Amino acid sequence: MSELMIEATDVSKKFGDVHALDGVSVTAKRGSVLGLLGHNGAGKTTLINILTTMLPPSGGSAKIAGFDVVRQGHEVRSRIGLTGQFAAVDEQLSGHDNLVLIARLLGASRNQAHQRADDLLEQFDLTEAAKRNAKTYSGGMRRRLDLAASLVGRPEVLFLDEPTTGLDPASRLAMWEIVEKLAADGTTVLLTTQYLDEADRLADTITVLSKGKVVASGTSAELKAQVGQRTVTVTLDSASDVDIAMKAVNAVGLHPVVEGLTLTTPVSASRDLATVVRALDDNGLEAHEIGLKEPTLDDVYLTLAAN
Amino acid sequence: MATLTWHGSSYPTQVLVLTGRSLRALLRTPALVFFSVLQPLIMLTLFSQIFSSITSTANFPPGMTYINYLLPAILVNTAMQSSLASGIGLVQDMSNGVLARFRSLPIRPSTVLLARNLSDAVRTAFQLVLMIAFGVLVFGFRPDGGMVGTLAALGLALVVGWALSWVFIAIAAWVRKAELMQTVGFLAMFPLMFASSAFVPVGGLPGWLQAIAKVNPLTYAVDAARSLALAHPVTGVVGALATSGAIAAVGAFFAVRGFRRPLSL
Ligand SMILES: Nc1ncnc2c1ncn2[C@@H]1O[C@H](COP(=O)(O)OP(=O)(O)O)[C@@H](O)[C@H]1O
Ligand SMILES: [Mg+2]
Repeated sequence: MSELMIEATDVSKKFGDVHALDGVSVTAKRGSVLGLLGHNGAGKTTLINILTTMLPPSGGSAKIAGFDVVRQGHEVRSRIGLTGQFAAVDEQLSGHDNLVLIARLLGASRNQAHQRADDLLEQFDLTEAAKRNAKTYSGGMRRRLDLAASLVGRPEVLFLDEPTTGLDPASRLAMWEIVEKLAADGTTVLLTTQYLDEADRLADTITVLSKGKVVASGTSAELKAQVGQRTVTVTLDSASDVDIAMKAVNAVGLHPVVEGLTLTTPVSASRDLATVVRALDDNGLEAHEIGLKEPTLDDVYLTLAAN
Repeated sequence: MATLTWHGSSYPTQVLVLTGRSLRALLRTPALVFFSVLQPLIMLTLFSQIFSSITSTANFPPGMTYINYLLPAILVNTAMQSSLASGIGLVQDMSNGVLARFRSLPIRPSTVLLARNLSDAVRTAFQLVLMIAFGVLVFGFRPDGGMVGTLAALGLALVVGWALSWVFIAIAAWVRKAELMQTVGFLAMFPLMFASSAFVPVGGLPGWLQAIAKVNPLTYAVDAARSLALAHPVTGVVGALATSGAIAAVGAFFAVRGFRRPLSL
C-alpha cells in the first residue's frame, strides 16, 4: 500500500505580485495523514484549493489518486472530500436536507440518500438537530455538519483546512478522534493546522510551509532530528525588558523568536547558554526564567516557520 | 455495512436536485416569499388607484378600464424585478458557502446556474398567478382575452423574465456584489419602467420620453402581453419571444464563463 494518493510537484501560485506558493512539493500515501503546518498566510489554503481543483496552479502539477487536478478535475472531484476553513453548508436547509442534497448530487437514489444522511447525522451527533435549519447551529455543530457533508461520498482523499481553529477544547478533541478513525479506515487525509500538538498527534508526516515554501518535511521525529538543535528560552518580566534582551542577544549573534515575554533561540552548543546569560547580565536584566531545552516540534515550527 | 460509493449523477438529475434545493430553501423562508409578492402587490394597488384618471385622457384607448390596461404591464414588470432577484440570489448563494461545497463535487457548474434560473422561474410564475388573482378578485380585472389570453400574457411575461434572469445571473457571476447589483438594477429599471407604455399610453408622454419609450424594449414586451390579455390584434409576440431567446442565449453564455472563475477572488 505505497500508492501515492496526493502528489504535488513543484506547485506554485501567484496572485498578482503575491507568490502564495513557490515550488511546493508534497506527497501522501494511501491511508496516511499529511499535516500541513504553517502560520496565517503561509499558503495552506491555496495549496488545498489547488489540490481540490478549486484554483488552477500557476506552475507545477498535482495528482490526486493518480488524476491530474487540471486536466481531470471531474475525476478528482469524484474522489475527494473537502472541509474548508469556512463551513460550506446551506444555511437555509436543515442538516438532514444538506446531506441528502449532496448524496443526490453524487448519484445516490432517494432512499440511499436519506439512509446515508441519517447515518452521518448519527455518527456526528447531530440527530437531534437534523430537522433544524443549519443557520441555527452552533459553530461546532456547523463544523461537524460540514465534515459530514464532505464524507457523504466516502472520499478516498479528504482535505481538512484548519478543522479545529476556533473550536472549544472538547469539540477539538472530538474532531481529532474523528480524523483518527477516518485514517484508521483507510482514508487519506491532508489537514492544515497552525497547532503543533494537532499535527504531532494526527499526522504521519508533516510539511512545514512558510511564505509559500516548504521549509521542512518529514515525520515529527525526523523534523526534530533535522533541526537537531537545542534551544534556549528566556522569559522576562516586562515587554520593555524583552526589547532590551532582544537587542542584547542579537548583538552576540543569536536570533531569537519572541512569543509574549519569552525569547526562544536555537543554539549550536551548550556554551551558548552562558553567552545568553552573560548578554542579559551585561544589560542589567534579570530573567524570570531561563532554560535549555531539547528540540521539540514547537521549536521546529518556531525556528523554521518564523524566518 | 454497505460500502457503496457514488461518483456523480446525470446532468438532468443535477439540475432537478439543485432546483428542488432552491425551492425548498425558498419555502423555508416564508418572509422572503411574502415580500417578493408584497412589492408588486403594492405597485398594483397604488398604480391602479393613482393613475385611474388617465382613462379619460385623449390617448387612452376608449372604453378600457385602467386595471385591464395596467395588469399585463404589472406582470411584465414583476417578472423583470424577479429576474433581478435571481441574480442577487446567485450572489447570496456564492456567499452562503454552499456554492463552495458544490464546486468540490463532481457536478457541472452550469447546473447550478440553470437550477437558479429554473427555480426563479417557478417563483415568478407563482408571483404572477397571485397578481392575476388579486387583479380579478380585488380590482375587477376582466380582460377580453379571458382566461386563455391572460395565461398567454403570463407566459410571455414569464419568458421575458426568464431571459432577463440570465442577464442578471451573468452579471452576478462576474460582479458578485449584491448591493451594487441591487442599486444599479433598480436605477436601470425604474426609468425604463416609466419611459414605456407600461402605465400610460406612449402617445400621452412628452416628446422626448416618447422617443425613449419607442426604443425601450419594455414597451414591446408590455404591448405584446397586453395584446394577448386584451385580445387585441396580437402584436410583437413572436418578436418578444425571439428577442427573449436571443437575450437568454447571450446571458447564459456569459453566465457560464463568469461562473467558471474561482470563487475566492
Ligand atoms: N484570492 C487571492 N488573491 C490574492 N491574494 C491571495 C488570495 N488568496 C490568498 N492570497 C494570498 O496568498 C497568501 C497565502 O494565503 P493562504 O493560502 O490563504 O494562506 P493560509 O491558508 O496558510 O493562511 C497570503 O499572502 C494571501 O494574502
Ligand atoms: Mg487558510
